[in-house]
Amino acid sequence: MSDELPHADETPGSEPLEETPESAAAEQASPALGSEEPQPESAEDVDVSPGEPDESSEPVEAADEPAEEADEEDAEVDADSPEESEEDEESSEEDVARRAFVTQVLAGSIGAVVGLVPVLSGLIFFLDPLIRGGGASGDATAGGSVQKDAEGFIKLPVARSLLPSDGTPQQVTVEDDLVDAWNKFPNVPIGSVWLLRSESDEVTAFSTICPHLGCAVEYRGARSDFYCPCHLSAFKLDGSKDNPIPPRDMDSLAVKPGMGEEIWVQYKSFRGGISEKVEV
Amino acid sequence: MIRSLLAWLDDRTGYAGFLHEALYERVPGGARWRYVWGSTLVFTFSVQMITGFFLWTAYSPSANTAWESVYYIENEMTFGSVVRGLHHFTAQLMIVLMAVHLVQVIIDGAYKAPREMNFWLGLVLMQIVLGLSLTGYLLPWDQKGYYATQVSTKIMGNAPLIGQQAQELIQGGPKYGHHTLTRFFALHAGLLPFSLIAFLGLHLYVFRRHGLTVKDPNHAPETTFWPEQVLKDGVACLAVLLLVLGLAVWKGAELSAPANPSENYAAARPEWYFLFLFRFLKFEFVEHFGLAFGSIYVPGALMGVVAAMPLLGRWAVGHKFNVAFTWTLTICIGGLTLMAFYEDGRDEDHQAAILEAHRDAERIKELASGPNRIPVSGAVTLLREDPFTQGPRLFAKHCKGCHRYDGHDGRGRLIYAGTPDGGQVRAAATAADLGQFGSPAWMKSVVVDYSNHFSALKNAGWFKNADGQDVLDPDESEMADWSGDAESLGSEENAQNVAELVAFLVAQAAHNTRDGKAVKHDTAAVDRGRTLAVEGDWAGAINGTSCADCHATIGESFTEIGDDDADGYPNLSGYGSAAWLKSFLSNPAAGQHYGEKNQMPAYAKRMTSSEMDLLVRWLTGDYVETKVEPYAAQRMPPVAR
Repeated sequence: MSDELPHADETPGSEPLEETPESAAAEQASPALGSEEPQPESAEDVDVSPGEPDESSEPVEAADEPAEEADEEDAEVDADSPEESEEDEESSEEDVARRAFVTQVLAGSIGAVVGLVPVLSGLIFFLDPLIRGGGASGDATAGGSVQKDAEGFIKLPVARSLLPSDGTPQQVTVEDDLVDAWNKFPNVPIGSVWLLRSESDEVTAFSTICPHLGCAVEYRGARSDFYCPCHLSAFKLDGSKDNPIPPRDMDSLAVKPGMGEEIWVQYKSFRGGISEKVEV
Repeated sequence: MIRSLLAWLDDRTGYAGFLHEALYERVPGGARWRYVWGSTLVFTFSVQMITGFFLWTAYSPSANTAWESVYYIENEMTFGSVVRGLHHFTAQLMIVLMAVHLVQVIIDGAYKAPREMNFWLGLVLMQIVLGLSLTGYLLPWDQKGYYATQVSTKIMGNAPLIGQQAQELIQGGPKYGHHTLTRFFALHAGLLPFSLIAFLGLHLYVFRRHGLTVKDPNHAPETTFWPEQVLKDGVACLAVLLLVLGLAVWKGAELSAPANPSENYAAARPEWYFLFLFRFLKFEFVEHFGLAFGSIYVPGALMGVVAAMPLLGRWAVGHKFNVAFTWTLTICIGGLTLMAFYEDGRDEDHQAAILEAHRDAERIKELASGPNRIPVSGAVTLLREDPFTQGPRLFAKHCKGCHRYDGHDGRGRLIYAGTPDGGQVRAAATAADLGQFGSPAWMKSVVVDYSNHFSALKNAGWFKNADGQDVLDPDESEMADWSGDAESLGSEENAQNVAELVAFLVAQAAHNTRDGKAVKHDTAAVDRGRTLAVEGDWAGAINGTSCADCHATIGESFTEIGDDDADGYPNLSGYGSAAWLKSFLSNPAAGQHYGEKNQMPAYAKRMTSSEMDLLVRWLTGDYVETKVEPYAAQRMPPVAR
């Protein structure tokens, strides 16, 4: 474009612009480029307005009318008006304007419809996870090869009396059937829990997922506490937070009461990074 | 002929003018190396488009094919590791080049009028590139990308108002799954590159409109883009290419173990260029203001200042402020990044986690390239069912409280105990180190050095507080006496006998090596050893004694002995073999094992039978052969947290 720019700066009209492609074609292409190349213009001069001439040089009709081309809408009106004046010179300016307006509205609405229908359908489709809720991936309900009751308690492969009673937590893997969109994976590990047995034989369960940003909370034997290796969240053994990094205490999980030796835990995931415990 | 054809083409398309415009941009002050950065960015993006397209031809985005297809690209397809390596390292270099470009634009004041719009377009491009690297990090669906991206999307979920909805939309549901991949891939290979092309077009167009920012027009005579600047740009691009090619060929893009939602990944870290943000989040004072503050508002505000620079630059001291801000930010980012590297380097647990991640990554390659290939359920099941992978984890979960494995917890971590003053010391084992279990060294040690072999028991609380109760005492037992007869058992004339007894015991345990390779046994020595064990045919004072005097069933393959038939001596039929080990682990307090003296928990109900199988198979070397380095205990001083 730089060969055209100087022309645009000297004379904003369209005549020289129309000549440019012809003259370039008439001469040999490469000499034309070479001969015009060294233009001792400063950068500021080039900056003025190179966009317009390029557009106006293409539609020859519009270029004949040097009135207004900057605005597309105006250009449309202008394109219509010469035809009108040829057919019926008596037509009032208002009439022209009204017809032009209707055309614009029609063109605009049709354009919007043909554009919006695919876009909106696509967007609604994309919103599927929000519209259908947790349908895209998540745990299956009761059934399958996993021992799971109607409330979602899953039997863990560990016996109550065999958990350490000195307060040492034990990590146990939770298995469940996992549904991921079109797949069902039967009996796969879906996560793990920390189990603690108190001296009074009460079993507490914590999710191993850190309430901060979801890394896995580990047990630190030397300090008798839980910590997360990612952002250094620390928790006491009762799950309460021990430094300001985690936004809340560890997420305790419901343990089904009255099951004797068996331990049934309601495995859930919660949103990270917030002070409230909100299930995902 | 060609000329008239070109003339015709130009008449119909105007290509000559276009070409001319592209090539003969004015370069006042002459071509300079400092102008190459933008071009290298365009070049790196082109490399990404090209390599990305070809990777696309082999990539399959779903939770049980993504890792698998990337594994196949990386390890089996012709030039796969080169193409993936180019894509991987060019992506990282693009971030660096972008940062350099941005800093240079700010320092040179190239954001000032009339170039404000182009500066903002550049910032948009930067967000798109960051989006590309974030989405691309997840696509291999390996542990590293999976857990690092989890953090990113959780941060996203903490954004105000629509954070949670945005998180679910990009994840394709409340949790990661197939649709997380299909969506990330659609963004990574569709929307984002498309937007990048569009904005890059605008960026270049506006750049050409305003021309180069020339600080020093008298540096050299004015020239044009072609050919002088093109040559310099070309050389810079060549340097970039050589760098990424070198990295791709000699370093290679990492592919960690397949994503496993139920397997902790303690080595989780973001890509290195986001480490500063990661480190920033670890400051407690940052956390006082909540997660959204540190991970969204602060970076957002910093970005806001950068975006406002063209406006700030209008003030008298605006430019100076912008430059000072940029340098401060650069130094802070650099400092935080170094801090993160330094701390991780000294963090024993993190180093152990990284080693384990490499171990898993190497191991899954061995399994996936095996004769059965990867099952339809995905590569993650290969690792789940692999004793070599799961054994150490089970050991660390169930056994490390008392035992050690080569001095560590099975997974390469040393075990510490707290001291009263809040410090940490290495915790003493209270049971045998099982690293050599079943090996000739182990068997020999049991036979000739019994007291020492089991001396760790004396550290245990039950031993120290025994108060005369009848407990397992490595120093006071018939076995200790027999084994302790160093004069006779350790004599020259019995050396051969001991070697043969050990050969027999090793053959009976029938372990593979720790590489999973079968061990060849010297049949003659084994037979002779069996005779020694059963009949005793020793030289010297122990002549006439045999193992079978006490351990009646020794010499047979493992046979269960019911509690009623137990005679108070451990059942050593098939000692150390998988069958013996499983019986022992299930209930060490059975009459045939340690009986009433036992202190070890019974594991029959503490782990599932499949877990028990994995542990036993690991301890006996019963797994697909491996060349993976064993876990090595970390030897760094512990870092207080």
